[in-house]
Amino acid sequence: MTNMLRCLFAACAGLFAVAASAPADAQALDRIIKEKKIRITAQVDSAPFGILDKDNKPTGSEIETARQIAKDLGVELELVQVTGPQRIPALLADRADLAISSLSITTERAKTVWFASPHGALSIVIGGPARTNITGPADLVGKKIGMTRATLEEQEVPKIAPPGTQIVFFDEHAATQQALMTGQVDAIGAAAFLISDLAKRAPQLNITPKFTVATAFYAIAVKPGNFDLLQWVNTWVFVNKNNGMLAKIYETHTGVKLVDLPTF
Amino acid sequence: MRPFGANEFVFILAAIRWTVALSLIAFVAGGIAGTGIALLRISLLGPVRALAIGYIQLFQGTPLLMQLFLVYYCLGLFGLRLDAWTAVVIAYSAYAAAFLGEIWRGCLQAVPLGQWEAAKSLALRRYQILRLIIVPQAARIAIPPTVGFLVQLVKATAVASIIGFVEVTRAGQLISNATFEPTIVYPIVAAIYFLLCWPLSLLSRRLERRLDVATHSPLAAH
Amino acid sequence: MTYVFQFGIVFDQFDRMLAGAWLTVQLSIGALLLGLAAATAGAFVLTAGPRWLRAPVTAYVELIRNTPLLIQLYVIFFALPGFGLRLDANAAALAALVINFGAYATEILRAGIQSIPAGQIEAGRALNLTTVQIYRLIVLFPAVKTVFPALASQFVLLMLGSSVVSAISASELTAVSNTLQSTTFRAFEVYIVATLMYLAVAVAFRAAFAAIYWAVFMRERGR
Repeated sequence: MTNMLRCLFAACAGLFAVAASAPADAQALDRIIKEKKIRITAQVDSAPFGILDKDNKPTGSEIETARQIAKDLGVELELVQVTGPQRIPALLADRADLAISSLSITTERAKTVWFASPHGALSIVIGGPARTNITGPADLVGKKIGMTRATLEEQEVPKIAPPGTQIVFFDEHAATQQALMTGQVDAIGAAAFLISDLAKRAPQLNITPKFTVATAFYAIAVKPGNFDLLQWVNTWVFVNKNNGMLAKIYETHTGVKLVDLPTF
Repeated sequence: MRPFGANEFVFILAAIRWTVALSLIAFVAGGIAGTGIALLRISLLGPVRALAIGYIQLFQGTPLLMQLFLVYYCLGLFGLRLDAWTAVVIAYSAYAAAFLGEIWRGCLQAVPLGQWEAAKSLALRRYQILRLIIVPQAARIAIPPTVGFLVQLVKATAVASIIGFVEVTRAGQLISNATFEPTIVYPIVAAIYFLLCWPLSLLSRRLERRLDVATHSPLAAH
Repeated sequence: MTYVFQFGIVFDQFDRMLAGAWLTVQLSIGALLLGLAAATAGAFVLTAGPRWLRAPVTAYVELIRNTPLLIQLYVIFFALPGFGLRLDANAAALAALVINFGAYATEILRAGIQSIPAGQIEAGRALNLTTVQIYRLIVLFPAVKTVFPALASQFVLLMLGSSVVSAISASELTAVSNTLQSTTFRAFEVYIVATLMYLAVAVAFRAAFAAIYWAVFMRERGR
């Protein structure tokens, strides 16, 4: 009996050892250049960062940024379509080399990914139709507030929502937006850009931002261990900040001027 | 707001190929693995049987969505660099293998014991008995429930939309969000699945009737 | 970079996962009871009821059995509000599960009823019982006994399938684990624990059904 237990234990330990020893790719940049292909995450339900245009092809500020990076690196771009909660797991599972999907820089996320210097900024608001009466956090009591998982709003809204607020979570932005649109939630927490895009697309609902919850800078993320890739991305951000390319992409898609971007 | 037009309809239709591709590949790969599972399941060796039973119980006792999450999020930990498509195919194939293995095990055991005994009295070895006598008869019995499972598999591919895999359901989700017309989009997606599955269901039932005589309920006699 | 397993993070939030599992159980049992009630009526219509009702019931059964549960959920949660019926997430989840289980159970019960030997029915008619009485007193009990394993099996499939209701924000076990995963990034630990919890619930239900079968059907020798 103890012999069998020992075998079982050894097998499990072996399995964990194999799992834990998955190597990081210290030569990620070289591999990308050699394979002539870079894989970058793409969200298509997060306006204006990633959407489907009228021909149902991916476009948006983050997707344009991805295209520019692939061009500057001289490699082919492969867009890896992800939902919000998958942006980081796709990176960690090596399904993507870079995560460029409006990932706000937070210390929580920094425990699992490495951020480059930011290339954009956003704010999180509570937004809803005209009939929902919210002017501040206190009005959230008794209301159903929807939001997508693994986003900045998921982290920030519960901090300011008083007890009695019903927060509901969806697995991706498309579901959250539809919930607001069909009246299944009273309001949603989302990026201000998304709210104004919804307002434009559904004028009959009269969607407005009610109040701001948080602001953040967002950045490109790499898997921990990919030093060379991170260094290249930081250089790219530096160069394109100074030549105005970042500002151009940002303003074309968001309609808002890009603020001064700090660096690490 | 984008109206629901031809472009949008075509986007949803085009995603059907991913639903069909995933279903067929998982069916074939799962079928091959399932054959192995079924044979292991009737092995004369206790531990081998236990292994097969454990595999089947695991996949039939846990949600498909959880299996997808584990394969999709966690296989990367084991050093495997898998793209989304490969991860999804692996998960669905493993799922199909368990169910098909169990279905086919039942069909193998449905072949009358007399067949085994007659074959043994002819001094045939076990693998010969299986190959020449049991499996051909079991295969005939197996066709209706196997076709029935293909229907389950096609419907199960909808779950992959939750991890962002763009098949018909996810395409519908994206279009519904882009056009704000869930009352048009989701019934269309339902109709697409119905048109894919219903003929298969009818086929399965007709095949079953060829093997069993249908009974009409005498309850409605008067 | 080595991955360090941290199951402690999951067990800190275990009470939340238990609450999610409890909602899963509640939704499943609710769907079972309401779905069975609907199925009893539906199976009656299909085998002995008025002919003009058979087409709609057949249409319902075929439609539900040939479309995914997830799409049925989306229709109820996202599309129905457009027609004036708005159910919140947990209510929509229950409705979808009831409708779904009801269709499968109708078909399973129908098969069970059609397996009752003709002699039983004729004996009932000879005793001048009405069709409903025959159904209730003679047919139903043996039919359910015959198809009990199939019903139990379908129930477990339903319980496991209920994990997709997380997609419309119902707060059952899968939803809780998704939230835990997205805040801690510990996908492996969270999902392994959730999967084991589902397995435990499935095993428990199978044992419960076996016990019910023994208690209800195996002791009828004296009848």
